[in-house]
Amino acid sequence: MSPLVLVVLLSSLGLGTAMTFASSHWLLAWMGLEINTLAILPLMAQQNHPRAMEATTKYFLIQATAAAMILFASTTNAWASGQWDITYPSHPVTATITMAALAMKIGLAPTHFWLPEVLQGVSLTTGLILSTWQKLAPFALILQVANYTPPYMLTALALCSTLVGGWGGLNQTQLRKILAYSSIAHLGWMILVAQMAPQLTLIALITYIVMTTAAFLTLNNMDATKTATLASSWTKSPTLTAMACLVLLSLGGLPPLTGFLPKWLILQEVTNQGFIPTATVMALSALLSLYFYLRLTYAMSLTLFPHTFNSVTPWRMTAKRPTLLLSTTIIMTTCLLPLTPSALTLLI
Amino acid sequence: MTPVQFSFTTAFILGLMGLTFHRTHLLSALLCLEGMMLALFVALSLWTLQTEVTNFSAAPMLLLAFSACEASVGLALLVATNRTHGPNQLQALNILQC
Amino acid sequence: MVYFAFMLLVGLVLGLVGVACNPAPYFAAFGLVVAAGMGCAVLAVSGAPFLALVLFLIYLGGMLVVFAYSSALAADPFPEGWTEVTVFEQLAFYLLGVVAAGLYFGKHWYTLFVGMVDSCSKFFTIRADMGGVVAMYGSGGFMLVFCAWVLLLTLFVVLELVRGLSRGPLRAV
Repeated sequence: MSPLVLVVLLSSLGLGTAMTFASSHWLLAWMGLEINTLAILPLMAQQNHPRAMEATTKYFLIQATAAAMILFASTTNAWASGQWDITYPSHPVTATITMAALAMKIGLAPTHFWLPEVLQGVSLTTGLILSTWQKLAPFALILQVANYTPPYMLTALALCSTLVGGWGGLNQTQLRKILAYSSIAHLGWMILVAQMAPQLTLIALITYIVMTTAAFLTLNNMDATKTATLASSWTKSPTLTAMACLVLLSLGGLPPLTGFLPKWLILQEVTNQGFIPTATVMALSALLSLYFYLRLTYAMSLTLFPHTFNSVTPWRMTAKRPTLLLSTTIIMTTCLLPLTPSALTLLI
Repeated sequence: MTPVQFSFTTAFILGLMGLTFHRTHLLSALLCLEGMMLALFVALSLWTLQTEVTNFSAAPMLLLAFSACEASVGLALLVATNRTHGPNQLQALNILQC
Repeated sequence: MVYFAFMLLVGLVLGLVGVACNPAPYFAAFGLVVAAGMGCAVLAVSGAPFLALVLFLIYLGGMLVVFAYSSALAADPFPEGWTEVTVFEQLAFYLLGVVAAGLYFGKHWYTLFVGMVDSCSKFFTIRADMGGVVAMYGSGGFMLVFCAWVLLLTLFVVLELVRGLSRGPLRAV
């Protein structure tokens, strides 16, 4: 792809998200979402193999349908109330349709089925954009809509997502599908508190973006898309392998790492509000996710799959890839938990 | 619910159901998507007329520009999947499933 | 005029039923053409002739022609029309659904005005839809810029998508 075309596409990605962030009118928000969708498509299809094309087609169909549903809900709302403001409390029916469409856009269960397939078809760099940057614009809308969405719907979406995200990932050996299911589970945690404590949603979103960036960049650095490839990664970059285990455990939410921060605060908030069974189910469903992260860690550190190397460490070139972002996000992924009071002060 | 609101809502939901339940041709799915956009165009225009918000009647034209973009990208994807997957059956798009 | 507009709205819904019941793309494209024509007529009789013209020229004349062309390219020796059993089942299902919903929601329609307010527009020299165009070109500069940008973006997107591996036209890899 020509660099000039790449500049047009990437700036349009930025433009779409910025339009959705800045808009208070549903039509402009819809336009931003559409620009976002259109701009990512050539990036997804740039390898031109059948899997990439299939992923692009599926992504386009899903995103276009969801965007049309958002506009339909806001039009119906305008017919009922004459209002186009995003923050204006809308009719519960239209709020429900909007939230369902936004859930489809970011891939919350039960409308999550496209996400693993689409992520599996694209490269790791595009997958990184898909699972971080493309979530921002819908989340800006979710945070504004969540105030007048029926609370049961949010709880149901959250429980469904964390359970499906945990169970779906158990059976996978492809790393991109595992990351997709991990994304579904994390989005479930975020959507749970979108109404009762939106600032916690924001904290969870930020930490999720940092952690998943670290995970995607690590895998990209190792050229790993399967569990079997991970097993021989220690021969190429031992330090990165050690850190990758910590990144995965941080995604799983183990205490001394950053991933524990959002889960801890969210569980505390939900318990304070008196939803004890919900909190219990959410905490238990995190164990399901933790299982497949642990399995990846196990494959990286404790087992040795059959391989074709003659020596312990194969001959290798010095790595030429830029690793500044990788090291920064890894440090943030592993060491940010002590900053919890600052995060709370800044955002709450 | 007035007849106008009923008819565009029905038209949109029909398009959505067609897109959701029909897996035969990719082209049929794209046609259903266009039908949804048509319903939205009619809805926005009639809302303008009903409420006499004159400024808002630019909105249907913006919507039409964006839906034209969507349609052209959809047809481009049709060509691209034709090249990689053969005939444009949605059933053929199955190499990524779990 | 009210009943005429109502019949046109019924035609719009029927066109969409024809699209949604999954016939071959030839017939679906025809159903969409019918629906778009009815939509144009609805807009025209309810006081927005300019928007109707835009819909006719852009949607029907620009986009649907391309869709009809692509569906004509779809190699299907025995296209399924609306009279095929599988299609007809769904057609009947959707028609029944629409009629049932109409009966449920339409209990008070005889007391309602059909919805279009065109009564006093005869006394104005500026129609509502024309005024919107004036507003768009007069004070809606950024919206026009966004539209132009997205059209340019679509050009690049389409070119990048159909370029493939630069290995010629339609082929199955």
